[in-house]
Amino acid sequence: MGFIIKKDQWINLAIVAATLWFIWFAQTHLDEYTVRILNNIAIFIILAVSYNLINGVTGQFSLEPNGFVAIGAYVAALLLLDADAKEYQYDIESPYPWVLALQANFVWALFFAGTFSALLALALSFPVFRVRGDYLAIVTLGFGFIIRILAINNPEITNGSLGLNDIPEFSNLYWTGGVALLAVIAILNIVDSKFGRAMKAIRDDEDAAIAMGVNTFKIKTMAFCTSAFLEGVGGGLLAALLTSISPDLFTFFLTFQLLIIIVLGGLGSTTGAIIGTVLVMGGSEWMRFLDEPMNIFGIVETPAMPGMRMVVFSIILIFVMLFAREGIMGKRELKDLFKKKRGES
Amino acid sequence: MKKLATLATAAALLASFSVAKEIKIGAVMPMSGPLAAYGQVTYEGIELANELQPTLKNGDTVKLVLVDNKGDKVETSTATTRLISADGVVGILGALTSSNTAAVIAVAEKKKIPVIASVATNDKLTAKREFANRVCFMDSFQGEVIANYAISQGYKTAAVISDQAQVYSLGLAKAFEKAFTKAGGKITKEVKVTSGDKDFKAVVAQVKSANPDFMFLPLYHPEASLIARQSKDIGLNKPMFSGDGVANQTMIDLGGDAIEGYMFTDFFDYSAPPTQASKDFIAAYEKKTGKKEMNSFTALGADTYNVMLAAMNKCADPTDSVCINKEIKNTKNFEGVSGVLNIDESGNASRSAVIKEFKNGKMVYKTTVNP
Amino acid sequence: MDFLTFMQQMVNGFSLGSMYALIAIGYTMVYGVLRLINFAHGDIMMVGAFLGYFGIAVLDLPFAAAALLAVVGSATLGMLTDKIAYKPLRNAPKISLLITAIGISFFLENAFNVFFGGVPRAFPVPDYMSHILNLGGLVFSVSSLLVPIVTLILLGGILWVLFKTKYGMAIRALAFDVNTVNLMGIDANRIIMIVFGMGSALAAVGGVFWALNYPTVEPMMGVLIGLKAFAAAVVGGIGSVTGAVLGGFIIGFTEVVVIAFMPELGGYKDAFAFVFLILVLLFKPTGILGYDFEKSRF
Repeated sequence: MGFIIKKDQWINLAIVAATLWFIWFAQTHLDEYTVRILNNIAIFIILAVSYNLINGVTGQFSLEPNGFVAIGAYVAALLLLDADAKEYQYDIESPYPWVLALQANFVWALFFAGTFSALLALALSFPVFRVRGDYLAIVTLGFGFIIRILAINNPEITNGSLGLNDIPEFSNLYWTGGVALLAVIAILNIVDSKFGRAMKAIRDDEDAAIAMGVNTFKIKTMAFCTSAFLEGVGGGLLAALLTSISPDLFTFFLTFQLLIIIVLGGLGSTTGAIIGTVLVMGGSEWMRFLDEPMNIFGIVETPAMPGMRMVVFSIILIFVMLFAREGIMGKRELKDLFKKKRGES
Repeated sequence: MKKLATLATAAALLASFSVAKEIKIGAVMPMSGPLAAYGQVTYEGIELANELQPTLKNGDTVKLVLVDNKGDKVETSTATTRLISADGVVGILGALTSSNTAAVIAVAEKKKIPVIASVATNDKLTAKREFANRVCFMDSFQGEVIANYAISQGYKTAAVISDQAQVYSLGLAKAFEKAFTKAGGKITKEVKVTSGDKDFKAVVAQVKSANPDFMFLPLYHPEASLIARQSKDIGLNKPMFSGDGVANQTMIDLGGDAIEGYMFTDFFDYSAPPTQASKDFIAAYEKKTGKKEMNSFTALGADTYNVMLAAMNKCADPTDSVCINKEIKNTKNFEGVSGVLNIDESGNASRSAVIKEFKNGKMVYKTTVNP
Repeated sequence: MDFLTFMQQMVNGFSLGSMYALIAIGYTMVYGVLRLINFAHGDIMMVGAFLGYFGIAVLDLPFAAAALLAVVGSATLGMLTDKIAYKPLRNAPKISLLITAIGISFFLENAFNVFFGGVPRAFPVPDYMSHILNLGGLVFSVSSLLVPIVTLILLGGILWVLFKTKYGMAIRALAFDVNTVNLMGIDANRIIMIVFGMGSALAAVGGVFWALNYPTVEPMMGVLIGLKAFAAAVVGGIGSVTGAVLGGFIIGFTEVVVIAFMPELGGYKDAFAFVFLILVLLFKPTGILGYDFEKSRF
């Protein structure tokens, strides 16, 4: 006991160390385009693993991330911008005095971004968990939509459709990668805890979970708030990476993108969510060549077809769903791959 | 010494003849997604301008690299980083809307790569930025032109219908309201719509009950044409005025009879090309596309490329982006496709605006307003 | 607000609501048999509107023929998507089906954008359709009068099919239990295909009407309309055809009337459908006329 480290833990430590080394290496050695993509991937890993917690692990089909990411991004942006910068850029209406007064350093800004999202999730959980199944999906979809409309319609706080610009650029791979690593560790620990087992029980059979004495409302709310916290933090990191945010960034396409990521990776698997993020985010950059003119086998010269990559992307998506419906990882995690097959679980 | 100089010149000449380089200019445009319509039209101009002038004075060829940003900010930032760090572009054209252009500038500014925006008219876009430039006029100028025109026609009250989802629309509405009130007019009705809306019956009914002298609609053509039609349907026949967002053939197709007499400001007049460059460009455009009309977004797209190219030509080293930026800001009396351009220290273009109206399914020139 | 303005708004709301209703019926029927939120349904509507456009502008067909082309074409496309993309996934987790629907939706939007361009095209409205009628001060175009009439006729037709024919009985049975239906010797897949065909045909009618009243067609037109129509279907009670029509009218009226009475809320117009949705679900989680699907699946 105590100081003896088990073999499993050695492997975990090695993975963490390798990740930290990679983050350092990428930030210091790789070109900016690659670093930019890695930053995007790191932020989307945070979003995907947390979205997976409510959607895959707890089995509550919710379509909320764009709303919480938006809230996190706006909270962080308002805290990071100083009063002069805000006064200067509010173009449609003058900002409220309390908006000008908001100010915090990056760590607190991220913390508040997450906390604010989590509190809102808490308030929202009372109405949303009254409904089950697809109703939950449409209510949360509506929630994300309403958040965006609110952002457009309250220029005294959000600067309306112009959005916030000149946000100090704090995000780099140390931040995005570091937070992503923490988020993944936190989520894996939650999933392995008794709460995680309760979440999975709800997913597999909610009525049975209730019969076994699981307080389903409490567990669902916990999963929802944890997701919202991390989505808020991810939104804050995104704002500090792009330095410019506006309501049109947070449409339901963002949610769809995350949904595709976690289903592609294998719904319920955190490892899958990470793999899905790398494939979708990296892949959509890699597929840019499809937009360009092409020379097929030196015979046919096709003209440039901007937008083609999205057509191909959607076809790939349909094919994956048709022929690999469990996604890449199914419900398994990385560690399951090393274990001997224990029969059907 | 003299001999040495000659030798150097000869060597330089020889070098420029023998190894013509390929220099890249990047374009970030929404070619898919909700803004695709405008991105595609603008890129037509950039692409054709590149086909017409594919080389620099010194013989280097200019290659355009287009990246699609889907109208999305994450993609815009990634695309801009890719253009600068992977493709090594010397300048960037784009990215249509003011809010996405702000994301391009945020990345390019740090890398000292000049950006030329085609239609991003928001006043604050170039402020405090060294490498941000544009070939369009700003909202404040356009708003003033329209307000002054309305006052000169004896209109005292105005209703403003703006699109809350478009920075362009809000900025222009604000500029107009400021100028109109200052000149003694009164805004009697303000309504906000959202782009993508199709049903404006409730909106026009409200405007009708407010009974203004004049309606100002700083919108893009899909919404403006529908409002014009639905106004006529309920017998609301007030003079209507828009900014440059409606200046295209689609507006005519969509609006039909309902936009007879509808006025708008524009960057250039297609039927009366302002410069030789525009005549040549329009001829080439008609030949290439077979279309009989050219959008002003296309003309402005072409001018972003032309201004960039001219600035590169003025630099001893056409890959020196700091010099290119300096020369862009030094653009004086430039004969562009969309008209005569001057770009100042802050990167803003000062250029004339034209007022036009729709008549018998055509855009008819009324007057030119100089800054 | 005087009586005339009020009546004018009622007419407008009725017309807008009818279009939401036509599209909502497709959502509700597909949901009834497959428990699938068919995210591609709005895009099927877009394809319908485009087919109408091609019929008139390219093939030079008279309006009625173009509308028929749109209906037949969309119905075929709807059945085809079922056969290719949804049928292989009958026993898969519901979420795979949903992602496939999103995939189809992305595919249709992007394919139309790449091959036909994103620039909105003007829909050639026949003159007799845009003719303005003036009834004692109430003004509306022929097309906006035609929409509610056709919607009600089609609703009658659908209800007749559902409640008076064998197919209808099969569809209703399917909504309760797929396995039992199969045991009873009914080809469930065939019935589901018919549902897709019917829903898509109605969406095409909605799309053509939309294009008539707001004369543009563009690849992204189905996104927002589709979402609102889906909200309408849920408000009315998903699974219930009458509920979908009711929901469509409620959403359509709310949008028109709230702006008419509270213009300062104009900016929130697109959110009404969803605010309404959340409120209805809070007080009646199955929608106004809906059954509780969770319970019906013993």
